[in-house]
Amino acid sequence: MGKLFSTKLAWRNIQSNKQVYLPYTLAATITVSMFQMMISLILNDFVQDRSSTLVQLFSMGAIVVGLFSLIFIFYTNSFLMKRRKKELGLYNILGLEKKHIRKVLLLENLMIGAISIALGIFLGNILGQLSFLFLNYLLQLPVVMTYSVSWLGAGVTAAVFMGIFLLTLIYNTAQVTFSNPITLLKGGKEGEKEPKSSPILFILGLISLISGYTISMTIDNPVQAILQFFLAVLLVIIGTYLIFTAGSIIVLKLLKKNKAFYYQPGPFISVSGMLYRMKQHAVGLANITILAVMVIIAISTTVTLFVGTEETLENRFPAENTNSLMTNYGLSGSEVEASIQEITEHIDELTVDFGLEVESMDSFRFVNLIGKFENDAFNTVSPEEREFIPDMVLLVPLDDYNRMERTSINLEDNEVLVYEAGIEVNSDRLGLGDNLFLVNELEDRPSVVGAEADLSDTLVVITPSAEAIDEITAAYNTEEDPYVMYWQGGMYWETTATEGDVMSYGKMMQAAIGDHGEEVGVFYESRSGNREEWYSLNGGFLFLGLFLGGLFTVGAALITYFKQVSEGFDDRERIQIMQKVGLDKETTKRATRSQIVWMFTLPIVTAALHTAFAYSILQKMLVLFSINNPQLLITVTIAVVASFAFIYWIIYRITSKVYLKIVE
Amino acid sequence: MSFIEVSNLKKVYTSRIGTKGTEALQQVDFSVEKGEFISIMGESGSGKTTLLNLLSTLDTPTEGAIYLEGKSLSDIKDKHVSKFRREQLGFVFQDFNLLDNFNLKDNILLPLVLAKTPVKEMEASVLPLAKSLGIDALLDKYPYEVSGGQKQRVAVARALITKPKLILADEPTGALDSRSSQNLLEIFKDINRLGQTIIMVTHSARASSYSNRVLFIRDGKVYHELYRGEQTEEAFMEKITQSILVSSGRGE
Ligand SMILES: Nc1ncnc2c1ncn2[C@@H]1O[C@H](COP(=O)(O)OP(=O)(O)OP(=O)(O)O)[C@@H](O)[C@H]1O
Ligand SMILES: [Mg+2]
Repeated sequence: MGKLFSTKLAWRNIQSNKQVYLPYTLAATITVSMFQMMISLILNDFVQDRSSTLVQLFSMGAIVVGLFSLIFIFYTNSFLMKRRKKELGLYNILGLEKKHIRKVLLLENLMIGAISIALGIFLGNILGQLSFLFLNYLLQLPVVMTYSVSWLGAGVTAAVFMGIFLLTLIYNTAQVTFSNPITLLKGGKEGEKEPKSSPILFILGLISLISGYTISMTIDNPVQAILQFFLAVLLVIIGTYLIFTAGSIIVLKLLKKNKAFYYQPGPFISVSGMLYRMKQHAVGLANITILAVMVIIAISTTVTLFVGTEETLENRFPAENTNSLMTNYGLSGSEVEASIQEITEHIDELTVDFGLEVESMDSFRFVNLIGKFENDAFNTVSPEEREFIPDMVLLVPLDDYNRMERTSINLEDNEVLVYEAGIEVNSDRLGLGDNLFLVNELEDRPSVVGAEADLSDTLVVITPSAEAIDEITAAYNTEEDPYVMYWQGGMYWETTATEGDVMSYGKMMQAAIGDHGEEVGVFYESRSGNREEWYSLNGGFLFLGLFLGGLFTVGAALITYFKQVSEGFDDRERIQIMQKVGLDKETTKRATRSQIVWMFTLPIVTAALHTAFAYSILQKMLVLFSINNPQLLITVTIAVVASFAFIYWIIYRITSKVYLKIVE
Repeated sequence: MSFIEVSNLKKVYTSRIGTKGTEALQQVDFSVEKGEFISIMGESGSGKTTLLNLLSTLDTPTEGAIYLEGKSLSDIKDKHVSKFRREQLGFVFQDFNLLDNFNLKDNILLPLVLAKTPVKEMEASVLPLAKSLGIDALLDKYPYEVSGGQKQRVAVARALITKPKLILADEPTGALDSRSSQNLLEIFKDINRLGQTIIMVTHSARASSYSNRVLFIRDGKVYHELYRGEQTEEAFMEKITQSILVSSGRGE
């Protein structure tokens, strides 16, 4: 048998099996294009320029999409093979050697693989660009996002999918090689035996899921622990697949054992029907679940981020105008206070010259100790020993605290006020420098604490005087330990500026305030000046979130559709036989509807559960962006879950109609 | 009023547009009394299965009508068709039509489940029937695990389990050895004696000799019929064989 003949036979096979090959190729093509778009996102300028964390996060997403593509293509391939086996078995019986069958299979797979990879990359780039255009138009962000098309991205996609198609080829070839013609001939029927329940897999799945949940609940900092985070994601995915496949069979078998329940028209049809092909069924459901979780997380975090931009601004900039002060080491607290007074006067002058007035002015001084907090005492650590995010102790003089909080608290010389933001003082003594202080706890968060405090473990200490802080820092700043602690300061003021001149006031202040002697560095920022930048940054994230959400929703729709169609063809004969024996349309509808309800609720409920357990990670990630608003995140997430459920419901309604049409 | 009245029945299969279509039944008239046991014989492709499909409402005639107890089958509303199939009818399909996702027991129980029979009643009725058909040891197996003849007996059991008024059996002994065939036919005879009407398609003169009447069908028409009357089975069988030989036009 010549090569040409094999090629012809393979091509003819594809054409004569259009009914199965067309959906398969289509599904593979769309999968390739989804992956291609995901890869392009990693290479996108916005992602590349932002931070390495973002690149890692998106690469993680790409790995998940890649794994998912592998599962999905295997899943669709198994439907294909089920139908092809009979034909291949017949070839075998009619005298075509297995060697040649393998050759034909190889050629068929090569053709389909090449077509879907080429088409998929092409389609992915087109769709990617179109959806970027659409989203740019929709969001009207200050900065236009551009979709990146590159040979690198295409190369990665091609390589990944060549691997995937090679695996399916190996699987298909093994199936043909290791089964005799009769089993091949029975083809479709094989594997329709009632599946065995495997409690071990179920327990493994449970363990995997619970460990994933536990990791995600206990991760302190998702950026620091990105590997751990990834592990949690993988464990949850594995757990979902195992529990769905093994668990559903166990549940269905239990239902079947309950005779009073099982021997009723609805359950009789649906339980046996589901059990019959539960393995594929469960994989499909797990696929949908994972995609749903990805959609929900991508959209809810980025929407929260965007909606919370004002809050971010409020947190970062408590007033319209902010000065951050840095001083050289050696300056004492009172010298810093004097500088602040000078700067305040300077600001007053500048503002009056501009034709406005300063309405309110707040300022405070602080020292930030960075190191390790142990046994109720703080110690410095050399930079090498330091953890990625170290402990922080924020020292603020009582005067400044009283000024900011509008209070008039008194403290003894050996007393401090303490606010715990991640670091706890267990006894009533606190060791700072060479001193031990008596601890009084503050209930409310002092306004001097910025949002950064949520990120690393922080202890806020209000000392009786600035001199006490001078003393403490002096104790830490020794010869052996060159790590210097210095005074910092913050100034916040509002002016009579209207919306119209707030920007130009900011520009003026920025240019004028820049220098203030050698000792004190002044860094001016206005909230309005930052607003645009934050909106374009968070808008960029929203853009990516919506894009990914859309991508995964399309994926979920694709799977649902494929699942319904293939199951429709599977169930068709069964339902028709039952109708011959007296099954009426009403019961058919009811039985299929109960299957559909399962199919609908299971992924959505599981996805919601996964999201709930991911909540703590999401919350912490958002803190990185100065959003510490659980209320907002929860509201947005619930809204996103509800909208996704609605969209999925529509997808389901449409595809169920397709299913019922095929069956009847 | 006859139990079943078939008048002027015609069935044309049109598959694709343009092609002329197969006339499976040209003109069929006959009637069946309650409690009769009728055999239908005829060459392959003569329209026997088609006739049974029409009698069982699985298909609709192109022309003509079938009356069951005076009521036209085409007048039965969609909703009641399923109920009719479920409760009045037992159909043994030529190609069995068993479901691979049910074990044999559940296959047999299917019509009872659809009729919402209490579990106890179902369980009680399946074993004696399976025993009489010799498949009681196989009830937990699946269709793809048993032989053709065993599948056929399951198909028979499924048709009989509801004790239907009318049993339509399409070559119910086609896959059986002579001993199982005889056993099955004895069962048919017994239930017929209890009042159930049976219409059975068969190619075997021995099988049809168990019935009260034989209809011969050719080219979509009933061209001959034989009554058993008071004859013994042997004599009736002899007569049937004769008719077949004569009708095939050769005296072999
Ligand atoms: N669905 C169909 N579409 C088109 N033609 C059909 C269809 N079913 C049967 N026929 C044709 O109608 C004629 C009668 O078929 P039928 O199945 O009734 O034969 P039969 O008497 O049962 O034969 P056998 O003894 O082989 O089962 C045949 O010529 C057959 O080809
Ligand atoms: Mg037939």
